[in-house]
Formats: sequence, structure tokens, C-alpha cells
Amino acid sequence: MKKRTLQRGLSAFWWLTLIFLYLPLAVVVFFSFNAANSAARFTGFSLRWYERLLGNEQIISAFWNSMVLAIVSAVLALVIGCLLGYGMYRHRHRKLGWLIVLIYLPIVLPDIVFGISEMAFFVSIHRYTGLLQPGLLTMIISHVTFQIPFVALIVYSRLVGLDPTLFEAAKDLYATPFKRAWHFLLPTIKPALISAFFLSFTLSIDDFVISFFTSGPESATLPIYIWGAIKKGVTPEINAIAALMIGAVAIAALMSLLFNRQGQR
Amino acid sequence: MVESSRMASRGRAVVGESRHLLFSVAPGATWIVVFLVLPSLYLMAVAFMTNGPYGLPQMPLTLNSFEQLAGFGFLGWSPGNLYTLLRSLWQTFLATVLVVIVAYPIAYYITTCRIKWRAIMLLLVVVPSWTNQVIRTFGWMNLLAPGTPLSDLAQWLGFIPPNMGLYPSNFAVTLGLVYNFLPFMVLPLYAAFEKLDTAQVQAAQDLYASPLRAFWHAVFPQTLPGLLAGTVLVAIPAFGMYVIPELLGGGKGMMLGNLVANQFAGGSNWPLGAAGAILMLIATFIGLFAMRRIGKRLGGGEEVVI
Repeated sequence: MKKRTLQRGLSAFWWLTLIFLYLPLAVVVFFSFNAANSAARFTGFSLRWYERLLGNEQIISAFWNSMVLAIVSAVLALVIGCLLGYGMYRHRHRKLGWLIVLIYLPIVLPDIVFGISEMAFFVSIHRYTGLLQPGLLTMIISHVTFQIPFVALIVYSRLVGLDPTLFEAAKDLYATPFKRAWHFLLPTIKPALISAFFLSFTLSIDDFVISFFTSGPESATLPIYIWGAIKKGVTPEINAIAALMIGAVAIAALMSLLFNRQGQR
Repeated sequence: MVESSRMASRGRAVVGESRHLLFSVAPGATWIVVFLVLPSLYLMAVAFMTNGPYGLPQMPLTLNSFEQLAGFGFLGWSPGNLYTLLRSLWQTFLATVLVVIVAYPIAYYITTCRIKWRAIMLLLVVVPSWTNQVIRTFGWMNLLAPGTPLSDLAQWLGFIPPNMGLYPSNFAVTLGLVYNFLPFMVLPLYAAFEKLDTAQVQAAQDLYASPLRAFWHAVFPQTLPGLLAGTVLVAIPAFGMYVIPELLGGGKGMMLGNLVANQFAGGSNWPLGAAGAILMLIATFIGLFAMRRIGKRLGGGEEVVI
């Protein structure tokens, strides 16, 4: 009897928490369809903010900046991080404590410290050499820096989970290290590589602080554009673009759910 | 003859291993050293430089920036920066405690549900954090602005003066922090609850322990590693938070992250900003170190290392 009331209470608390988690997102989506330019009163259904989005060149260019940044940085991080993860596995019996510290550094460093370090560094280098002007390039460099550790750790944990005798067998089967890598290693860790790529991509899209401090005047991403609009108090289209980004996340969530289902079967 | 050729092949193997290390580990390690370790060291050096015109660092080396951080300026001492620092500590503490209070029952509840539902429930908790932080915080701005139902309710209850909103305020910042970090606490706590040894709980109940005592002696210690991991994941980034206090806090809700960022964004005073960043780094490493020590004493050291 007592147990059942506890369970009921917990269930109610669970639903309240879900409302708490989704209410801010729901409000943004709801008011993106508002006819009036207000976040307090809903006057009628309208798609005019979405129409205005398509005509806003700044938003379109911010969207492409976000995409280029996320894809280029994720690909670079995948290559470098995969090599690093493999190296960590191959040499795991050596004393590589310094390497572990190095890999955890980008993860534990607070975003703001990360961002301003990069900014101070790039600005100073640019002043003395003319290289690395703040823009898409410096943003890509910074994003790769925080993505590498995640890729390396995912690849490493996948390799550690494998049966070590597989590596012996591969050595017997394929003559050169390159053939071994191509025919055995890469296919074996493919799932890890795919999830590492998507994680890197998501981390890049999700990031605001580090992008904000390393960006230049021409390289605003969507979050940076939204930030600027909120700060200036000009927000009519912001609900619409934010709603589209929330929609993208919802699709990603559904896809990950479907993948999970397939994995269980 | 045989001996020498074996020696040679072993020698080749060692060279091969070293070359392998060079090709696999070196690119990533070099990247992090050049693009993160060097910039951080440069930032630390900036903290000890003099603030030049346009806020750019100059020689000679001084401790001036740390004095400014403590509140000593041209016009004598002012408590502004110290208030900001104390506010950051208080907000971090408050948000972490509240996140634990919400996450604990949620994590437990998920483990009591059917296995096929658990993955979906965890996903539901995590999905909001996949959206960009700026958008999530913007959602709260919409909810807490003047004239919204929540603000009207707060006015009716007398929490805030008429015609005001719930934001900007310290309350809004706390709320934003709890919202932002809840999933980081639920996940490690869920992992701890899932491994819970129920035999211990059974034993406690068989010995006529009250539910509270059974919880305190049989359940709580087992979830402590998850709680510690969650605390690290919540408290460290919360202390350095920039976006939430900037959007929801207003001038009186500023935290250390805003103090640091303002010195760079406005270009006003790099050394002061760098000194604030050093403070944040020290707090980060003290936090990590303390958690590791406590974790090791509990014997769950492995899990606490994030």
C-alpha cells in the first residue's frame, strides 16, 4: 500500500519534470506561429516569420557557416582522433599518463576559459604575423580541439572491448599494416567511427561560447546570430529559426531511438 | 649469427613501435598542445602583464590584475568583483543542490520502470540538452518575461512587484542552471541506481530498519559514486557559466564567467579577464582533485574519473 503511494508520487514527479524540461522549447515553437510580434499573447496562427526567414540573408549565411563549421571540423577531428585513439590502444601498456591529462584537458576546461584562451592566442598571432585572422578557420581549429578527445575516447573504448586475439588473426591474414587497417580495423570500428562523427557534429552545432570568442565579423553561426538578435532586442524571426533547430533535434532524437530499436533486435 | 639477427629484428620492432607512436598519437597530441595548452599558458602569462591602451597586454609584469580582481581600482576598494565571485559560488552551490534534489527521485523512478521504457525515458531527459544553450535560455526568457502567466502568478502571490517579470533576476539564473544541468546528474545517478545491490536493502528491512534508515545506510552509500560524478559534471561548468547569467541575470546577476568575458568582449582589460580565468581554473582543478580523493576513499575511484 505504502509502496504504491510512493510509486504514484514518483510518477507524478516524473511528469512534472518532463513539463519543466519541455516547456521552454514548446513555448518557442508555439510563438513561432504567432501572428503578432509578441511572446506574451497569441493572436492567431501565421507562417509569416518562417517566410521572413527565407528572405533574411544573414540567417541563410549563418546557417551555411554552422554547417561548414560542423562538417569540416567533425571530419578533421575524426581522422586525428581516430589515429589518437588507436595509438592510445596500441601503446596502452606504456606509461602515457601525460597523454591522458592532455586528452582530458579540453573536456574539463570551462568553456569560457577555453574560448578566451583561443581568442587571445589567435588575436596575438594575427597581430604579429598576419596569419589566423579570426573567422571560420579559427573556429574550425577550436572546434577540432574540443572534438578530438571525444573521438579518441570512443575509438579507444571500442578497441579495448575487442577480443585481443582478433588482432593476431588479422596479422596472420593481411601482410601489410595498411591492408590490415583497411580490411580489418576500419570495418570493425565503423560503428564507433559513425557515432564519433555524429557526436563531433552535435558538439559543434551545440557550441556557442567557444564559437563566439573565436569568430570574426563574417563568420557568425546560427547561435551567434540568435545571440546578437536577442541582445539587440530584435527577435521576431528568432522564434522561427529556433523552432526549426528544435525540430532538427527532435528528428535526431527519433532517429537515435530507431537505431536503438534496431540494435536491440 | 641467429642471435644477432634476432637482436636486429627486435631493434627494428622497437624503432617501428616508436615510429608508430609518432604517426598515431603525435598529430592529436601536437594539435592539443599547440591549440590549447599554448593558448592557456599564454592566457596565464597575460594575467601577470600590464593593461595597455585598448585593453591589450603589455610589459612590465605586475600583480595589478589580481589586485583589481580583488576590487582595488583607481578610486580605492569596491566590493563589486567580490560580490560577483560570491554570487558565482552561491549560484553553483544552490543549483547543484537543487539538481540533486530533482535528479535523485527521477533516476530512481526510471530504474523502477520496465526495461524497454528505460532507454526512452533517459532519452526524454537528455533530448532538451541537445538543443543549443542559447535557444533553451531564450525559451526561459519567453516564459519569465513580464506579462506571461508565470510572471502574473508570481505577482499575484506577491513575490515580485507589479509590472515586473521574473527575469532578469538571480532566481531566473538559478532556474536556468538547474534546467541546463539536470541531465548531467540524472545519467550518472541512473547508472548508480541500476547497479544497486538490493540484497543490502532487503537485509536492512529484515532488521526492522525504518525506511529512512534503510535508505541512508543501504541505498545512499551505493549511489555516492554516481552522485560525485554528477556533482563534478554540474558544479564545474556551472561555476564558469556565461550564457545563462548574461541572458537571464541582468546587471545584478553577473557571475565570474561574465566578468571574465566582458574584459575580452569589450576589449577593456585583458589582464583582469585572464586573472579571473586563472581563478576559474584553480577552482576547476581543486574540484576535480577533491572529487578524486573522496572517490578513491570510497573505493569507487574508477567511476568518479569522468
